[in-house]
Amino acid sequence: MNGKRDMKITKLSWRNLWRNPTRTNVTILAVSLCIAVLIIFQSMIVGLIEKAKFTTTNLVIGEVQVHAEGYLDDRSIYKSLQNTEEIHLIAKENNIGLVERSYGFGLISSGTKSAGTQFWGINPESELQHFDFANHIDKGNFLTNTSLKKIVLGRKLASSIAADIGTELVVFVQGADGSLGNELFYVAGILKNMADNVDRGAAMILREDFDILFSANNLIHEIALNSKGRFESEEIQKLLSARTADVDVETWQQLMPTIALLTEKMSVFMRTFFSLIFGIAASLGVMNTMIMSTYDRMREFGIIRAIGTTPWRILKQVSLEAILLTTIASVIGVVVGLSVALYFQKYGFDVSGSGNMSFGGVVMDPIWRASVSVGIVFLPVVLMMLISIVASIYPASIAARIKPVEAIHYKP
Amino acid sequence: MIRLTIVTTCILFKIFLPNFAFASNLNPEKILDSVDDLYRSNTSYGILTLSVTTKNWQRTLTLEQWSKGEDRHLIKVLKPKKEKGLTTLRVDNNVWNYMPKVKRVVKIPSSMMASSWMGSHFTNDDLVKQSRMVKDYTFSVTYEGEREGKNIVEISCFPKKDAAVVWGKVDVIVYRDDYIPLSIIYYDEDLQLSRTLNFTNIQMMGGKKIPSQMIMIPVDEPGESTAIQWKKIQFDLTINDDFFSLRKLQQ
Repeated sequence: MNGKRDMKITKLSWRNLWRNPTRTNVTILAVSLCIAVLIIFQSMIVGLIEKAKFTTTNLVIGEVQVHAEGYLDDRSIYKSLQNTEEIHLIAKENNIGLVERSYGFGLISSGTKSAGTQFWGINPESELQHFDFANHIDKGNFLTNTSLKKIVLGRKLASSIAADIGTELVVFVQGADGSLGNELFYVAGILKNMADNVDRGAAMILREDFDILFSANNLIHEIALNSKGRFESEEIQKLLSARTADVDVETWQQLMPTIALLTEKMSVFMRTFFSLIFGIAASLGVMNTMIMSTYDRMREFGIIRAIGTTPWRILKQVSLEAILLTTIASVIGVVVGLSVALYFQKYGFDVSGSGNMSFGGVVMDPIWRASVSVGIVFLPVVLMMLISIVASIYPASIAARIKPVEAIHYKP
Repeated sequence: MIRLTIVTTCILFKIFLPNFAFASNLNPEKILDSVDDLYRSNTSYGILTLSVTTKNWQRTLTLEQWSKGEDRHLIKVLKPKKEKGLTTLRVDNNVWNYMPKVKRVVKIPSSMMASSWMGSHFTNDDLVKQSRMVKDYTFSVTYEGEREGKNIVEISCFPKKDAAVVWGKVDVIVYRDDYIPLSIIYYDEDLQLSRTLNFTNIQMMGGKKIPSQMIMIPVDEPGESTAIQWKKIQFDLTINDDFFSLRKLQQ
């Protein structure tokens, strides 16, 4: 019985909607455009944020890093990681990329110029496999597993000591046993600008060379893990924390809190801002249409009130018209918005024309892609639905509250 | 007239007040100079050991050193074998290290001046900043008399405004009789105790009465220290200026 009546109201609403097809079509167009633009914009913003995150983590930091307790506070060469087997095991079980790095401070000199640097003892093969920075070579080549006595420098460091490919560098460090190590190295490559600490201070050498230079026996100061987005950083952190002790396990968000905060704030701000603007625009459109159609039908409402229709039913009917209108607009908006967003997800667009796009000192790949998810489609549709219901309440309540006698004599 | 007399008296008092405070015949400037000149004369030559103790290792280096005036210094490692021949040259404010293994000279950049010299608790700056204390600090005698059974004089030095000094305050404590130092206490810019340099084993060496041992104790690294023990020291030899040159370093 009830269902049948609802069907009737729906049918009535549908018919009412098309009494003025131009007005309805224009409103549908406006609302569907709002939905489509919201879907495209949001997917682009999320795409940019994800890109910034990925650029940040995939370059060199990784999603999670493990250090000996308190290492990051003083970066002492003696605070090395012990018993790394469990960490290797966890990474292997979950197929997460893992690299080990050794760090030591020393002096590097070419000709009359010298500078204090941080030496990175690395394994080039695993760095290349799991991270991206090794591909960002400005000049020369990155290290290979056989490039003994070769060194790769950050760009600003290289220019500060006027080093070029093949330049002989004198390296002077204090070893882990207190002895003073000195060696000659030859520049194999110079990295592109990527992150300030790397640009200004990084001198990368093979782990084997590091051990000789620093009289060290396999000292590992950092393990960086990178699943390339397959896991959330917190998930990896949880996995590791559960099975390790006496180590600091930190996500990239904890390691780079300003960038993490910036991405989050930017995402929330941009999405709220655009949703608000388009939401208001759409709601005004819907409200205008409904008010217009309500005043058009004043006499009609008066007559049906006079023959016993309840105000509640009129309210329902007018609201339903708005909901129907938004539903049609949603379908069109989602189809259009999603297609465009998916296109940008697949092909992206090149923003390299405006110079290097960098984020927090990290240079990004210039192709900007959208990132589509259920939430991104769902949110504008739900938002528009709510907005159109709210926007229709005012005209609907005008219709519901009219006095039949006055309404019958109403001249638009 | 009376007012003028009062003013004059006050001015006179102000002028002579420092002298009233320590009416003894102490001359702090002379004391600081004698501390500065303790291990140097016109020229000096010596052999010493440098024993460094840290949380992670303990090692002793045997060094040979030459100096001329206040701003030329050459220090060469004799032992152990790994570092043999490693040489530090200081001329004025510049420090170079010669590395025998790779046969190269490296200049210590200004950014590394505050870092450790030869792995000890002395910094490269300590080598360089051996200029006259009286030039860089304002000073006054802050204690004179008996302390822990020794008759001492304590001079507190505060850096002059434009002096390139990292310390906030330096206390120099010497024996009252011969101005031989007992200890030099360094405070950081917040006037927190930073490190103590103690002098012991006073001996006649090279015709001078000097403490043959110095121990540097940093406050922030408990249990750590660097000890310098002079084995041999000679003063006023003839050393040419070009002995302290980069060319000489590479030979």
